[in-house]
Amino acid sequence: MLKMSWKGVLAHKVRLGLTGLAIVLGVAFISGSFVFTDRMSSAFDDLFAGSTDGIDLVIQEGGSLGFTAGKVPEEILDQVLAVEGVSQAIPTVQGFAQMIDKDGEPIGGSGPPTFGFSIDAADFETTMTSFVEGRLPESGEAMIDVFTARANGFEVGDSVDVIFTTGVETLEIVGTIGFGDADNMLGATVVALDLSDAQRLMGYQGAYASISVVADPGADLDQLRSALQQAVADPDVEVVLAADELAEQLEQVDTVLGFFNTFLVAIGAIALFVAAFLISNTFRIIVSQRTRELALLRAVGATGRQVTVIVVLEAFIVGVIASAIGIGVGVLLAVGIQGGLEAFGISFPSGGLVVKFRTVAFGMGFGVFFTMISAIIPAVRASRVPPVAALRETAVGFSKPLRKRVIAGVAITSVGLVMLFAGLFGSFSKALLVMGIGAGLTFIGVAVIAPFFSRGFGRIFGAPLPRMFGVTGRLAQENAVRKPRRMAATASALMIGVALVSILAVLAASAKTTIKGAVEDEVIAEYQIEARGFADPTSTGVSPALKASLATVPGVEFVSSYRVGPYLEEGGSTTLYLAAVDDVLDKVIRWDVLSGSYADLAPGKVMVDADWAADKGIGVGDTVTIEPREGHPVDFAVAATFSSDLFQGVPIVMSLADFEQYYSLGLEAMVMLKLADGVDAEAIRPALETLVDEYPNVELSNAAEYVAKTAGQVDTFLNILTALLGLAIFIALMGIMNTLALSIFERKREIGLLRAVGMTRRQVRRMIRWEAILIAVFGAVIGLVVGSLLGIAIVYGIGSGLVLTMPLGTLAGYAVFAAIGGFLASLWPSYSGARTDLLEAISFE
Amino acid sequence: MDIGTTGVAARTVEGVKVYGAGDLEVRALDRINVSFDAGRFTAIMGPSGSGKSTLLHCIAGLDELTSGDAYIGEQRLGALSEKQLTLLRRQKVGFIFQSFNLIPTLDARENITLPLDIAGDDVDKEWFDTVVATMGLGDRLTHRPNELSGGQQQRVAAARALVSRPEIVFADEPSGNLDSKATDELLSFMRRAADEFGQTIVMVTHDPMAAAFADKVVFLADGICIDEMAAPTADSILDHMKSMGG
Ligand SMILES: Nc1ncnc2c1ncn2[C@@H]1O[C@H](COP(=O)(O)OP(=O)(O)O)[C@@H](O)[C@H]1O
Ligand SMILES: [Mg+2]
Repeated sequence: MLKMSWKGVLAHKVRLGLTGLAIVLGVAFISGSFVFTDRMSSAFDDLFAGSTDGIDLVIQEGGSLGFTAGKVPEEILDQVLAVEGVSQAIPTVQGFAQMIDKDGEPIGGSGPPTFGFSIDAADFETTMTSFVEGRLPESGEAMIDVFTARANGFEVGDSVDVIFTTGVETLEIVGTIGFGDADNMLGATVVALDLSDAQRLMGYQGAYASISVVADPGADLDQLRSALQQAVADPDVEVVLAADELAEQLEQVDTVLGFFNTFLVAIGAIALFVAAFLISNTFRIIVSQRTRELALLRAVGATGRQVTVIVVLEAFIVGVIASAIGIGVGVLLAVGIQGGLEAFGISFPSGGLVVKFRTVAFGMGFGVFFTMISAIIPAVRASRVPPVAALRETAVGFSKPLRKRVIAGVAITSVGLVMLFAGLFGSFSKALLVMGIGAGLTFIGVAVIAPFFSRGFGRIFGAPLPRMFGVTGRLAQENAVRKPRRMAATASALMIGVALVSILAVLAASAKTTIKGAVEDEVIAEYQIEARGFADPTSTGVSPALKASLATVPGVEFVSSYRVGPYLEEGGSTTLYLAAVDDVLDKVIRWDVLSGSYADLAPGKVMVDADWAADKGIGVGDTVTIEPREGHPVDFAVAATFSSDLFQGVPIVMSLADFEQYYSLGLEAMVMLKLADGVDAEAIRPALETLVDEYPNVELSNAAEYVAKTAGQVDTFLNILTALLGLAIFIALMGIMNTLALSIFERKREIGLLRAVGMTRRQVRRMIRWEAILIAVFGAVIGLVVGSLLGIAIVYGIGSGLVLTMPLGTLAGYAVFAAIGGFLASLWPSYSGARTDLLEAISFE
Repeated sequence: MDIGTTGVAARTVEGVKVYGAGDLEVRALDRINVSFDAGRFTAIMGPSGSGKSTLLHCIAGLDELTSGDAYIGEQRLGALSEKQLTLLRRQKVGFIFQSFNLIPTLDARENITLPLDIAGDDVDKEWFDTVVATMGLGDRLTHRPNELSGGQQQRVAAARALVSRPEIVFADEPSGNLDSKATDELLSFMRRAADEFGQTIVMVTHDPMAAAFADKVVFLADGICIDEMAAPTADSILDHMKSMGG
């Protein structure tokens, strides 16, 4: 039977080819993301492993979150050196440092970190840092990474301006460094400084970020660890094995990469889901075109079940071949992405791509699963072909009454919606998976109902065609709807992609309106200063030095700011964010303080979001326990509850004094300026800009500019996601192309007849083209409707002040794009349709 | 038969059609010279594989001769581009095939006016009504092909072939799939089209009864025209075929 299936595949190579291509694309995306994230992960492994190669123990302030380091008091160094078994103790400091290029533009800052650290001759032996040229820096000097030096034309002997938390510093470049054999650390820019400069510039007066210990050869590390822990009097300082610390850091990186990977795999799965529609449709059409062949099999004694197995095996063969190719393409994709990143200045340590068994298993599994699942219905239908069909000329139509379909469709959609929203708003494990399955069922349900609307749609939306193109348009309109199920299945694939991007568009538009409203309602300040572009406020921001100098500008009444830092709930593992504010932020931002008062905020106390507090059943006077550093819970008394649209998603606000104690990042997330009464905001702006210009990593904006900037960022997110979903849309358009090509094949004689009675090739192409456009627009319209409804439901579901906004222009744009997509998808079928061999088509055998 | 007064609607000169190459080469038409009189109903007969359909296709502009020339009126088909051939078929030629003559998504009226609609020409209402009445299709115009009997379908096809007033109508075994009653109806209508409208018709058939409706029968064998017979009857055709066979 495998042989029969194999022959079936060979006989329909071309038709299955396009189907296979859809699988290839989906699998390539999935396996490519696995290979790439594995590569990233191994690069980080190398980086971190290399960065502590020769080091045995690390002394640091307990716990860490992300990349923020704690502080170890200087005097501990001597205590450490006094312990027997310690060969070397190398103090290190690291922190924010961003270079400015020769044109005054900041280098890096949107993506990989920009940081600085102290460097010691021992580092070249004990860490991955490698010496390239020049010499070690003394005060006022720096070594920088080779990549940055080369990319920005810096030579040894040049000077470079560097932004630190304490201000902008001009340093002389005395050398360059690399990392293993890579020119930079996965795109991070690095400034290596003399230890005391590093302490001064990165806010470590009298302290280090950590002390690396090299043990005497043969020393027992566990014993040494205990000895050191005893020698170090400070309870906040801990001594850990370098290997443990490394493992923990890698775990954090892998968690982040894991999210990234899950996200990409989800996109790939969406693409395969869409591909499943295409596959299902192709098999259905092939089965109906092979009715006579299958009936013949039945007539010579094959059971219905055997016929089913033959078709399913065909799907299996297609799935295996396409998935295998997809995995190969995925590897190439990963190579391409790495190459692209390297071109963009993200240098990878050497070491090739690894294709893990898991990658192959997932790629194969997804690809074969989706192919076979989608062939099952057509396969079962194939088994119902009666033997007598072998003797009949026409294909047997399988049709269930539409009414039954609608009932089934509504039922599936309802179940899907329930799961979708349960997953979206429920907080249980696997919520995401439930949501995904719910979304899938919703789409399937809609696809099941869709044929019910095919004819009506064709009548209404196709109405202009006969008027525009006479009988050619009339035929396009008729052809589009002559097989309502086929049209609906084809259009539904496109519907999914369009629905997803429509949901995103609705969410993005609503978010933008909400932000605009929040800024207009809550911001009192005339100006704000914030990092440029997409900046992570927990790793970059505005230097407090700039804040201080802005305060001295005549006409500025006062300056306020807030910072943002990561924290965990007690015992939790999900990184959350809190804000830290100074005592006048309530005069530049309108807070709705519901109980307690802003003025009560003091060290040891926090303000909490009122809804969050209500959820937890706490109020003013109660205690909340959080972990600003992992594993180090701290109690805070609730001083006030607030409600704020600007601080949406930030449930805890602490005092700046507390923040400085728990976090080493000494940068403001945002600085806000309040001008004195009667000062013309435009007139004072040049004076402010002059100061801000010294820090090219940040920019000054007024309320309108700030809104525009944030809206721009939302749009960027939207565009990235939309581009990724473009894969699903592309596959759907391939589906239109495939269905169309198959339909044209079925209508060969009809087209031949039309050509015989005088239809020109150009008219044939036009007829096919408009059929494709109608199908595409049908898919787009259902997608827009479904997407908008889901978008609206999600916006209301999220609540929390989100203002629903329908991006009508964008949505209309999607319909136009879909029409253009349909046109492109029709190019090949219409070309080949127009070349239909006239005689073959009309001759009677 | 006086060719001088009626003129020639279509003809071939030394027409050759070769399919395949080498050992598989088939000479479907072998230097054939044949002409069809304007305003007459001509039948083409011959054994299966004798080149009847090939002749029809080549002379109707559906296929190209390998060598020699085919003319419709004074227009040499070999001189025309693909596009010009299409326009020629649209304007000067009507077709009735053995089966699959109609577009399933269009109703009978739309099928009849299809060539005119494709060309974007106006339908001559009076002529349309005349043709439809002659074909006896008045009450069937809004039916789709699957709602029509085989005979009705072929009459719709005949109406379509006539409605654009082509210079010549070609029919390839139009009654091949019809029972004798429907055959009789269809051929009577074709006969009337020739008589009443002066329509030139060339019809391939292997049925002597059908050929008897024509003004003239042309006999083909092995790709050449071996004989002609004017004013045929079913008996005379049968006799003729027997004499050829014997
Ligand atoms: N497309 C083709 N390719 C190869 N040979 C063909 C083709 N069409 C027709 N023939 C051959 O040409 C000869 C004439 O065919 P045809 O004109 O269809 O004959 P008729 O209509 O008289 O039965 C036959 O031998 C047939 O096999
Ligand atoms: Mg024939």
